[in-house]
Amino acid sequence: MKQNNLIKLIFLIPFILILTGCWDLKGLDRQVFVIGIGLDVSDEKGKIDITYLIANPEVGTSFAGGGTEEDTVMTVTMRSPDFLSLRHSVNAAVAREISYDLLKVIVVSEELAKDEEFIRFLYSAEKDREIKRNTYLIVTKEKAAEFLSKNDPKFLTRPHKFYENMIQRGIEVGFIPNSELHHFFRVTEEDANLFLATYATTNIRQKEDEYRINEMDALAGDVRIEGETNSANFLGAAVFLEGMMIGTLTGVENRIVMLLHDASSITDILAPIPDPFHEDYELTVRIRKQHNTSVEMNVHDMPPKIHVTLPLTVDVLTDPSMENPVDNKKKVEKLRSTMEEFMETKIMALVEKSQKEFKAEPFGWSLYARKEFKTLKDYMEFDWMRTYPEMKIDVDVEIRFGQFGRQPKTPSYKGIRD
Amino acid sequence: MFKVLKKLAGKKRNKRPVGSEDTLASQASTKDQSISYQIEDNIKQVKKIFHYPDNKDIKLRECKIGASEKRVAIFFISTITDVRTIEDSAIGPILKNKHPDATIKEMIATQNITHLSTMRDVVQNMNTGNAVIFIEGETSAYAFECANFQGRSVEKAENEVVIKGPKEAFTEKVVVNLSLIRKRIKNEDLMAETVTISTRSKNEVFILYIRNLANEKLVDNIKNRLKNLDVDAIQNLSLLEQYIEERPFSMFPSVLYSERPDRATSFLEDGHIILLMDNSPDSLILPATFWSFFHTSDDHYLRFIFGNFARFIRAGAMFITIFISAIFIAVTTYHSEMIPADLLLAIAGSREKVPFPVFFEILLMEIAFELIREAGLRVPNPMGPTIGIVGALILGQAAVEANIISPIVIIVVALSGLTSFTISDVSLNFALRIIRFIFIFSAGLFGIFGMTSFFVMGIFYLTSLKSFGVPFLAPMSPHYVASGDTIFRRVLKNENLRPGYLKPKDMKKKSDEAVK
Repeated sequence: MKQNNLIKLIFLIPFILILTGCWDLKGLDRQVFVIGIGLDVSDEKGKIDITYLIANPEVGTSFAGGGTEEDTVMTVTMRSPDFLSLRHSVNAAVAREISYDLLKVIVVSEELAKDEEFIRFLYSAEKDREIKRNTYLIVTKEKAAEFLSKNDPKFLTRPHKFYENMIQRGIEVGFIPNSELHHFFRVTEEDANLFLATYATTNIRQKEDEYRINEMDALAGDVRIEGETNSANFLGAAVFLEGMMIGTLTGVENRIVMLLHDASSITDILAPIPDPFHEDYELTVRIRKQHNTSVEMNVHDMPPKIHVTLPLTVDVLTDPSMENPVDNKKKVEKLRSTMEEFMETKIMALVEKSQKEFKAEPFGWSLYARKEFKTLKDYMEFDWMRTYPEMKIDVDVEIRFGQFGRQPKTPSYKGIRD
Repeated sequence: MFKVLKKLAGKKRNKRPVGSEDTLASQASTKDQSISYQIEDNIKQVKKIFHYPDNKDIKLRECKIGASEKRVAIFFISTITDVRTIEDSAIGPILKNKHPDATIKEMIATQNITHLSTMRDVVQNMNTGNAVIFIEGETSAYAFECANFQGRSVEKAENEVVIKGPKEAFTEKVVVNLSLIRKRIKNEDLMAETVTISTRSKNEVFILYIRNLANEKLVDNIKNRLKNLDVDAIQNLSLLEQYIEERPFSMFPSVLYSERPDRATSFLEDGHIILLMDNSPDSLILPATFWSFFHTSDDHYLRFIFGNFARFIRAGAMFITIFISAIFIAVTTYHSEMIPADLLLAIAGSREKVPFPVFFEILLMEIAFELIREAGLRVPNPMGPTIGIVGALILGQAAVEANIISPIVIIVVALSGLTSFTISDVSLNFALRIIRFIFIFSAGLFGIFGMTSFFVMGIFYLTSLKSFGVPFLAPMSPHYVASGDTIFRRVLKNENLRPGYLKPKDMKKKSDEAVK
């Protein structure tokens, strides 16, 4: 009798498994993958226009059994109080379940980013389980919906690939900041720094007098790029203070921020700077940051003082004036002093901009200030945000020369032309 | 659960075939007679026992000794004896004998002659291929060795192939097998005891061990287990294995089965016990641990780094063969966020036109693969290549082109099938293949969570297993003093200890660094 019961029990075990399993089973072919979410202002209070950029998985695959001629992506825009409930509402137009597994970017129009209400909508990204914290925040000049539908990358037919590569390369060369959502929440809650978000647009100026002359000292859309290439530019940063956009930084300014900020992962920068030997030309240098910035602070003076030393290694890669500075110690010194001066003025201009225009800093200096106080309370009383605009800041660039190109010596211009 | 199953199995095993005792008993009573003074009676008696002349290969040669003219009768079974030896060493000398006083031992020119006094001995000697001589006026018979059982010669090992090292394998003749082992261990302490394990067919098992190495309790345990068998016939070791193993329902084997004399020898030298049997081109090695199924002889024949590289690959392959199909199911149905974006889109894209869910797709292909495997094994030799081509065609290209199976599934199943071949041991191979299916089911039901819990249960079970008193995962878990030959092996010079779980009489097998 006892044995019989046991055998019955054994036969019941598989049923337990079958009856309880498969809770969150979700076949891949029952889902669509959202690559980007666009947020726009709507004329109804408490709601925003949300756009989904949905990838077509069949594009870019070459399987036996026939390929497809379908579109790469589709965009859907709907009005919704947040992007959680939208996942179901949008099923009125989209056939399958919405999945955020491949979500790469959250695109916000400049208009919404400058709205005080913006922070209310973005914080729902922190609530949703499926939105990863390493999703990038992008601010666009035009409406986010327009950006997502107009953006038509060449070669990179799969949209997630485009955003991933574009943003990663942009961060590597320093044209755009690392604007992961995680950093946004951290900086916003820290309430001492500026958060920089990637600035992008498909709204590129076509007339000659509208774009800037110095190529990278500009925002996305202001640079003259010709040819059949991607219709979107990613350049510069949108500046957020307390969760609201208050201004922009150009590509060069963003590079300066990243050079000064020790936490940024920038490794080397190729940039043109004026040639001290011939005013018509520019030298190309590779700037590498091999040591950390040293920040000395005196918070007890009135006004508080900050002294920043930025050690840089510079490779001078071109010599258009054909002056051969390697040969001559005096020339090297001249090169060094003009270069340091050039950089210091550029940096000081940005620091002043941050003090006067933004009234907060994006360089992460508040962390150094904390060390100067014995208790957190002291630091709170000091009120970094209020004190920063009055601080006396000076920046010292220390250059160490690395290589002067593969072949350091070139023949002189006169020697060839005579 | 296993207790219940064991009980059920035990009940069946204890049932005796009806009516067997009658005939066996009558057979025994005729054999119990002693040898008569009258040669006529003896001849009649042997003829009756062997049903001469209905039994066609029973031969009787009657003649007279050349000088004394005494009658002589030689009995033998022609199919299992060397007839030429009988002619040259027995019949010839008897006929040509010129000394009337010569005894039979002086006449016959074979390596040994045994004195037999009962009919039982006569029958036994004839059954083992010896010839028996009856002489007029003597109450005893004589037997001399001239057995010649037919069989293969020593051939290459087919299932356990090595790149480097000896190629010969055991054959169906136990004498040859013993000789192959004696060739490797030239030591008088190598014991080759025999136990007769079946009542009707009288199958004999050779128990091989090294006397001053192997643990006596272990040897006694195995001998007892063999002696306690009450079976009519056990043809060979593959069948014997199933009689002596402790858990017949267990997924994992507990006796190692090897066709390589060098492998058997190295186990003998570590203190294991080897069973050999006629009609078995292999040996049983016991006790066996998980590692012995996982290892091959090549691991030690190749140099330290190469051998370990092979082990590394094999360990990886073992996990791939168990897990890859299951992981694919789990990740695509439950945890799609784990897949890199490109792969996710590729998988999703390939699934657009396919009718079945991933779980069924994988199951379908795995079953198809097993079908090809089984069919390929049973197919007559000339048709072998055809099956391969048809299988590859149907499973691969056609299924994909017909949009029945997505191409990624083909990759996954092919990989899991291919990697399963790296485990050369047949028993472990089967175990892994079945376990793979269980994992596929648990992944289909619960995703990674199901796989993890089943894996944990499996590990519990593995650690609880024992083979002849030795824990299955020893010496890793529980830890025993040993030379550390588990997943990876040490440099040969440093493997200087015998496995502690066997409790050998001599732990050390070489001095440190193996140099004096």
